[in-house]
Amino acid sequence: MNLTENRDILEIMQSDLERALKKPRAERRWAMAIDLKKCIGCHACTTGCMSENLTPPEIHYRPVKEEELGTFPNTGMRFLPRPCMQCDAPSCTQVCPVTATYKRDDGLVTIDYEKCIGCRYCLVACPYGARSADVGLYFTGDFRDKTYEVENSGEYGKRSKRTSHWRSPIGNARKCHFCIHRVEKGELTRCTTTCLSSATYFGDINDPKALITKLISKVNVMKYKEEFGTKPMVFYLT
Amino acid sequence: MQIYGVFIPEKNRLLSYFSQFKQGKGGLIVYLALIGLVLGGFGFGSIFILGHGHTINTSSQVPWGLQISTYVYFALVSGGCIFTNFIGNMFFHEKYKPLASRVIFMGLITAIAGFASLASELGHVERMYMFMISPNPTSPMFWMSVWYTADISILLVEYINIQRNKHSKAMLYTSFIIPVITYCSLGSLFGAVGTMPYYYSSLLPIYFLFSGFLSGNALCAIIAAFQSKTSGNMRLLKPFFRMQKIALASVFVLTFCRIIIGLSSNLTGYEVFRETFFQNVIFGIGGALVVPFIILMYKRTFGGLVLSSLLVLLTQFMARLDLVVEGFRVPVFRVYDMPERISYFPSVFEILVVLASVSLVALVYLISEKTGLFEIAGKGGH
Repeated sequence: MNLTENRDILEIMQSDLERALKKPRAERRWAMAIDLKKCIGCHACTTGCMSENLTPPEIHYRPVKEEELGTFPNTGMRFLPRPCMQCDAPSCTQVCPVTATYKRDDGLVTIDYEKCIGCRYCLVACPYGARSADVGLYFTGDFRDKTYEVENSGEYGKRSKRTSHWRSPIGNARKCHFCIHRVEKGELTRCTTTCLSSATYFGDINDPKALITKLISKVNVMKYKEEFGTKPMVFYLT
Repeated sequence: MQIYGVFIPEKNRLLSYFSQFKQGKGGLIVYLALIGLVLGGFGFGSIFILGHGHTINTSSQVPWGLQISTYVYFALVSGGCIFTNFIGNMFFHEKYKPLASRVIFMGLITAIAGFASLASELGHVERMYMFMISPNPTSPMFWMSVWYTADISILLVEYINIQRNKHSKAMLYTSFIIPVITYCSLGSLFGAVGTMPYYYSSLLPIYFLFSGFLSGNALCAIIAAFQSKTSGNMRLLKPFFRMQKIALASVFVLTFCRIIIGLSSNLTGYEVFRETFFQNVIFGIGGALVVPFIILMYKRTFGGLVLSSLLVLLTQFMARLDLVVEGFRVPVFRVYDMPERISYFPSVFEILVVLASVSLVALVYLISEKTGLFEIAGKGGH
């Protein structure tokens, strides 16, 4: 069955998104699906994410793992993009001592930068390694006048400049947030739009008509490290 | 509330000690501790002024390093002092009595020194009030903070009681039960992380309790040894020989069980046990537990007790660092140029934080001892 009906998948997901945004927030459930057969390991999603979220050195919200399979001459490459899984039963929210990280009513796992004490317990508890510590590094050393070093994309709807280690998000845990600042403006996540091979799908899985809902109901769907019981909301199509 | 003679030494004794101190007669270790505290203060200052990015070697791959392990170490030493106090009071009453206030005092200052180290590791320590206004009861760390506060408060009350010769059995039991819960909570902070196989274990809270008993008792044994030398009362040493051997044997059993469980599992993250097997057996069991035990068996003297205790204190410190850091050895999600095994070595600033914590404990204790803070309780009894 042709799920896309020969339409551009970005256009389909855009209309899915617009339909989802018309619903109250609590009725939405954002999820992502990544087609591993389509992923070519170009890292465009990683780069797009970095430029969108202006992430500092050593912080990648969406890295892509590369694995060599088999032995010569029967070899191949496998690529595994890893955003935050936005788990339904997240271990990070459970261990955060001050509820700085919590699950919103639309299922998005959020960090309140102004509450986070920087204990890094969530980094230890996340089985996916999806969280990073912003220790205050800059690409340009101590020259903090560059826009990309100090500006913030408005993660979680708040703008906070990285001008000093006393100010958040420096000292905090950071992670992928499904570009919620874009999504709530009606734009798809940056990794979805930059994916060269259209391997990343995004949408509201509470919408039975959405493309992502149709995709994840197939048999070739798996979840990463499902055995930890975290109920991840990122689905891998194999 | 009486301050002088209970919390701080008598004013005239304190002033007289400071005049001796100025003349260079304050005692070599006090001067060394003071230098250590100044250097450590420089380390603390640098971390707070320059920020973590420029001063400490922890990262997203190794989120907890030397400062956290130092916190765990001192917290467990504090818990061990309480264990020693309880067992000393219950089974060695007369022999132990002159040391009670010193042991509780040590429990208090080590808990504070541990917290100082922890404070330098947090990204935003100024937001600690969030524990009160935005608590999360599902977090072991939240419960750790609750019990840690209760522990320090109860130790303070117990210390005041001992200093004022108003000791009670009820307080003795309370000041034992609360720390047991506190240090079990600390163990569960690590042991409850189901996603980290190296930590995840119901054995860990018990392991923490007995490791704490071992390190705390070793510190108290050193105090007892020097106290016995000063007072000429060698009977003070007897309880510590026994307690130290019991603690060493208990930790031996628990360490052995932990290694065996680790070696027999195939979960990702457990390979650390295989990779560090010889290190664990030679240093973690041989050097840290067997050698001190043999010293205690064959050298039942002042020197034997001090040597064994110093060895325990040093090796337990390394064991805490290994316990915290080795959990991150196998990367959870290996990507880009990340090595197969993550290594960590603390920065100079992190080492200075340890120096500050050790110096703080040594300095406060030695000044209190030299100015006769504990003499009131020693004379009276409880």
